[in-house]
Amino acid sequence: MNIAWIIVLPLLGVIAPLLANPTRRNQVAWITAVLPFAALLITLYHAPAILAGEVVQQTWYWIPQIGLTLSFRMDGLALLFTLLILGIGLLIILYARYYLSSKDPMGRFYSYLILFMAAMLGIVNSGNLLQMWAFWELTSISSFLLIGFWSSTGKARKGARMALTITGAGGLALLAGILLIGKVVGSLELEAVLNSGRLLVEHQWYPVILALVLIGAFTKSAQFPFHFWLPHAMSAPTPVSAYLHSATMVKAGIFLLARMFPVLSGHDAWFVTVSLVGLATLLLGAYTALFKHDLKGLLAYSTISHLGLITLLLGMGTELAAVAALFHIVNHAVFKASLFMGVGIIDHETGTRDMRQINGLFKYMPHTAVLCIVAALSMAGVPLLNGFLSKEMFFAETLEQSAIGALSWLIPLLATIAGALSVAYSLRFIHDVFFNGEPKGLKKTPHEPPRYMRIPVEVLVALCILVGIFPALLVGDLLKSAGVAVLGGTLPYIPLYIWHGFNLPLLMSALALAGGIGIYARRKVLFQFQSHFKEVDANERFDAWLYQVITFIRRIEALIDKRSLQYYLAWLSVALLILLAAPLLNLSLVGDNVVITPLTAEVWAGTALIAIAALATVVNNRRRLFAALLISIVGLGVSLAFARFSAPDLALTQISVEVITTILLLLALFFLPQTTPKESKPGRLLRDIGLAGIFGGIMATLTYAMLTRPIETISDYFLANSKTGGGGTNVVNVILVDFRGFDTFGEITVLGIAALGIYKLTAGMRLFLPATNEDGLPWSRDKYPLILKQVSQSILPLALLISAYIFLRGHNLPGGGFIAGLITAIAIVQQYIGHGNDWIQKRFYANYVGFIAAGLSIALLTGLGSWLWQKPFLTSWFDYFTWPVFGKFELASAMLFDLGVYLTVVGAAMLILAKLGQLTVVEPYSEKED
Amino acid sequence: MNNLVFLPILIPLLAGAITLALWRSSKWQKRVSVFATLLYLTASATLAWQVSQQGYIVLQVGGWQAPFGISLVADYLASIMVVVTGIVAFTAVLYSLVTTPNTHIKFGYFPLLHILLAGVSGAFLTGDLFNLFVWFEVMLLASFGLLTLGGERAQMEGAIKYVTINLFSSALFLSAIGILYGTVGTLNMADLAVKLQDVEQQGLLNAIALMFMVSFSIKAGAFPFFFWLPASYHTPIIAVSAVFAGLLTKVGVYALYRVFGLIFIGDINFTHQILLWMGVFTMLSGVLGAASQFEIRRILSFHIISQIGYMILALAIFTPLAIAGGVFYLFHHIIVKTNLFLISGMTHLLQNTYQLKSMGGLYRERPFLAALFLIPAMSLAGLPPLSGFFAKYLVIEAGIVSQQWLATGVALFVGLLTLYSMIKIWAEAFWKAKPETLSETVKLPLWGVVPIALMAIMTLIIGFAAEPFILLSQATAEQLLNPQSYINAVLGGQP
Repeated sequence: MNIAWIIVLPLLGVIAPLLANPTRRNQVAWITAVLPFAALLITLYHAPAILAGEVVQQTWYWIPQIGLTLSFRMDGLALLFTLLILGIGLLIILYARYYLSSKDPMGRFYSYLILFMAAMLGIVNSGNLLQMWAFWELTSISSFLLIGFWSSTGKARKGARMALTITGAGGLALLAGILLIGKVVGSLELEAVLNSGRLLVEHQWYPVILALVLIGAFTKSAQFPFHFWLPHAMSAPTPVSAYLHSATMVKAGIFLLARMFPVLSGHDAWFVTVSLVGLATLLLGAYTALFKHDLKGLLAYSTISHLGLITLLLGMGTELAAVAALFHIVNHAVFKASLFMGVGIIDHETGTRDMRQINGLFKYMPHTAVLCIVAALSMAGVPLLNGFLSKEMFFAETLEQSAIGALSWLIPLLATIAGALSVAYSLRFIHDVFFNGEPKGLKKTPHEPPRYMRIPVEVLVALCILVGIFPALLVGDLLKSAGVAVLGGTLPYIPLYIWHGFNLPLLMSALALAGGIGIYARRKVLFQFQSHFKEVDANERFDAWLYQVITFIRRIEALIDKRSLQYYLAWLSVALLILLAAPLLNLSLVGDNVVITPLTAEVWAGTALIAIAALATVVNNRRRLFAALLISIVGLGVSLAFARFSAPDLALTQISVEVITTILLLLALFFLPQTTPKESKPGRLLRDIGLAGIFGGIMATLTYAMLTRPIETISDYFLANSKTGGGGTNVVNVILVDFRGFDTFGEITVLGIAALGIYKLTAGMRLFLPATNEDGLPWSRDKYPLILKQVSQSILPLALLISAYIFLRGHNLPGGGFIAGLITAIAIVQQYIGHGNDWIQKRFYANYVGFIAAGLSIALLTGLGSWLWQKPFLTSWFDYFTWPVFGKFELASAMLFDLGVYLTVVGAAMLILAKLGQLTVVEPYSEKED
Repeated sequence: MNNLVFLPILIPLLAGAITLALWRSSKWQKRVSVFATLLYLTASATLAWQVSQQGYIVLQVGGWQAPFGISLVADYLASIMVVVTGIVAFTAVLYSLVTTPNTHIKFGYFPLLHILLAGVSGAFLTGDLFNLFVWFEVMLLASFGLLTLGGERAQMEGAIKYVTINLFSSALFLSAIGILYGTVGTLNMADLAVKLQDVEQQGLLNAIALMFMVSFSIKAGAFPFFFWLPASYHTPIIAVSAVFAGLLTKVGVYALYRVFGLIFIGDINFTHQILLWMGVFTMLSGVLGAASQFEIRRILSFHIISQIGYMILALAIFTPLAIAGGVFYLFHHIIVKTNLFLISGMTHLLQNTYQLKSMGGLYRERPFLAALFLIPAMSLAGLPPLSGFFAKYLVIEAGIVSQQWLATGVALFVGLLTLYSMIKIWAEAFWKAKPETLSETVKLPLWGVVPIALMAIMTLIIGFAAEPFILLSQATAEQLLNPQSYINAVLGGQP
């Protein structure tokens, strides 16, 4: 059987509980258990070979480009963890069947649990570091879902969120560490990394790699100073705590330390950091556990403390210490899981976990009590139980190590103190819960739990005793093969028996036991002392800290984001100017070999006119009508400039656009107040003047730099090919409708949508016509003066004729569809001005949207026409014909395209102008009101 | 015949015209739209397949040889983007069938959407700088139209900021084009790439390059130019927000990739260094901005910004690995982000609010929707083996290889905060008990959920079967970093 199944089967199992009938709880549990059980069988099938020292590996290429393979690898270490994960996992499945209430969605719970199990199996059996990391993250997510299972309570949500944030952060650090390892070793395959010897330790990146990997491991294993998430994860259902926070998830960090032990540990940085962090965690956890009234709180801190112990062992650097660490991993998982399950039973039967309420339960549930007491004694390290053995090894090793140099003698001392504390809280658990008088204020009378709920606890407690008495027989081989995986080939002799004779470690144990009893006896004094410290709730801390961060961000946001458009634009300009500073300083303006056109008087005059008019517009910007007139001078000036510098087409276009936009502006201004109130403070004015000035200066400089450079452009090609290739002598027009007709096509689309957009925006808008102007003068009664009427009307045919003329000659002489369209639009607008909306609408119905649609369609279809001849889109065609009366004339597809342009322009301009002109359909109201 | 390149522009244009003609019948507009986007998807997929065979497909519009006419160029990058656009368009139209109010359809929702698509495709496919400007304008006007549909006050405020700042960007873009043309006398991108190699005035070129950079960064929503984005993206109806969130900023990013991958590569120590810092600050400011938000759409909007940061960072690192990461990021993110917005539309339908504080209970009531949310959300946060993981992984790995420690560290940190943000939404909207103020639940429309499920499946595929996508990204990066092949394809080997 392929070892990949050990992971794949549980992964498939994620779906299994969802398929079961949710009302039949036994069925759900059985279906859930089948696949992990099969995985356990496969593991046992492979176990003999692995215990004999083999490494079973299976690799597929997944994404070789990034060094990611699907690679499963089982050695002794992986086997040890796999047995724990599957064995305890199966017991948890059985236990949870009775723990969950009928209201809880059981299928979902099992599904998450199995997902988590698969992820854990994935971590320990990965043969590729990146793949291991992926499973690592999967444990974070699945444990998030499990911790937050009772998500309607705020505590569960916060606990889950904090756990994920901390372990997620660690996960990212680990990823960075793994990537660096991959770079150093040249491979992410575990085999390659483990065989890299001292490469990593001697590399210059070693401190960084070590720090990143340790952050990953410490966050996961709740080591100080990242321990605070674990107690809050206790808001999970108790089976989850029993599984995740005793046997599996928190052990993942330890597993990582053990896994990387061969290649990362041979350095003082490792010994000092790992041992000190472990020691701190050991003491802190043991001390805090003593003061927890909540049973699960006590167990949570006890777990932290034991994890610290294991970490300390891994940091001590002696070989036997590493083996002791492995041994304690097993022992702790066994007794802690049973304790959690026992606490779950107590919680289940009494409705509370507060040790101040729960007393004297021995009377009510003696069977459960015995189980819990044995497990707790194992936790305390009492002889004949498994906890005692690994603790003895631990004490022995503290005497051997020299992890923190000259201060190493402190470690055995502190270890004994921690041992005493551990005895004390175990005693408290035993004495407070099962003896110590009668229960207080319980809502129900406690009794023994369902038979099957106790079985998992019984199995584990039996293991505590059996391993405690026959260690070498039961776990000897397992520890040896795991030890080989951690330490490499050489393995010291492992003293796995109960009696070592009278020696120092035994004395330390005795001291710890006596000290623990002493501490518990004098606990009132300690509680008194502890009550002077304010208890810090990590959740609240976390929230407060978050709140501070958010406030800080908001403050910065308020500082830089004023939610004002003017501010945004100023900010944009400043940023642009700062960025442009560097290249501008590098800019040399010396134009070589470029003859600069001499300035003539009329150019001076024109330039001055434009500049003065522009300035005057700005100065008068609050008198809107006047400013609109001034800005039209700028426009006219520009069109004159075009004419002066030989761009007649541009001049024509500019001048007709100018007319249309001025009308548009006037129409829009009509609905707005005549003057703008003064809004800008002097400081802001100064800022804006400065910005605008610098900006203008920069653009002028750039333009000057550009103009004084000699260039070769593609425009020569246009001049040469306009007539022969495009069939027109007006190069500008040929560029517009042929060379770059595609641009024009895009632009008329823009024009069309703009018109539709404005139409849509003003649709349904009703604006009232003010009765008087700003100064209180009523409007003239003669809205449509006779002369204006007459003149407009007589202009119309003339204007249309000019428009047609401009259109037709466009291909060869200045003109074209765009200009012609504008002229037509102006002519029609003139009729609206002369006669008013109602008059026009009676006589002339025009669907301007239709104009636009037709124009765009004609242009598009003209372009598509070339497909019929297998030519690219918009390929033009032209030819010359001779008709009797007309003489020789040219027909070109470009003219059809230009017609499309013409129609779109007319439609768009008219749609906007006519719509704006029609806004005031409502009669003036104020005369009646006055 | 290379007219195939033109189809992704033509189809939405025609669809726009037809739906415009069917102004009065929302039923037929819907039918045409579904058909047109499906056709678009087919055409773009065909194009992509052809490109994968030939490397480049170039159409010289009007038959004018480059650099004199306008070239349409489909390379790997462009065709990937067009295909993803097709996916977004199709799903968005499906989603719109049931979620877009009739008042919006009456005022040209579908025509505007199609024209927007035409603009987006045009921007992806054009090989001409000025033509790119034209398509930007098409996009801008169409998106402005979509943004103001409905005409609520908040929309108007957002739309005015949106359009003004984007016009600023356009003006800058146009000035830059003008000065560039005045300097080297050509507009064709391939030709520009050739001619810029001979220009000695690096100062002037850098100034022009920065003008382009700022202009595109505004469009892309990069730091410090992103203010308009969170000010406007949450105002229109959700299908519009989703399309904008998915596509529009990415057009800006695409333009950056084009211009700073092909044209302005003469002084990358200067230009790409600026891009690097821009990327770093964009990642940070986006994700920090999101942290202080409690409105789903605004949270998602800020995350657009932070994710854009990764893409810009990838461009800045400018190694094959980094660019591959950036390309992967582009298509992964478009799908994920569009989907998240679509999901927020469904949750709004159920709870009638976007405020996290007044939401809750969706996990118990809608486990399927909750699962559908988790897929893109966790992908956005970069969890393996979802698509976002590979995107992040490639960028981070590239950062490590080129020893950009700070940027890599920030990228990792931002990943964590992104995860935190997604958890925030999950914990508040899904986990929290349902507030009592919420009335009876509504039935979710099938055509609202189907597009979400489709996109979630795509996210899963990109993640679990990442290999072909990574290969594709690597091929794209290789092509992008080999300007000469682009130049030869467009100019036909002539200088």
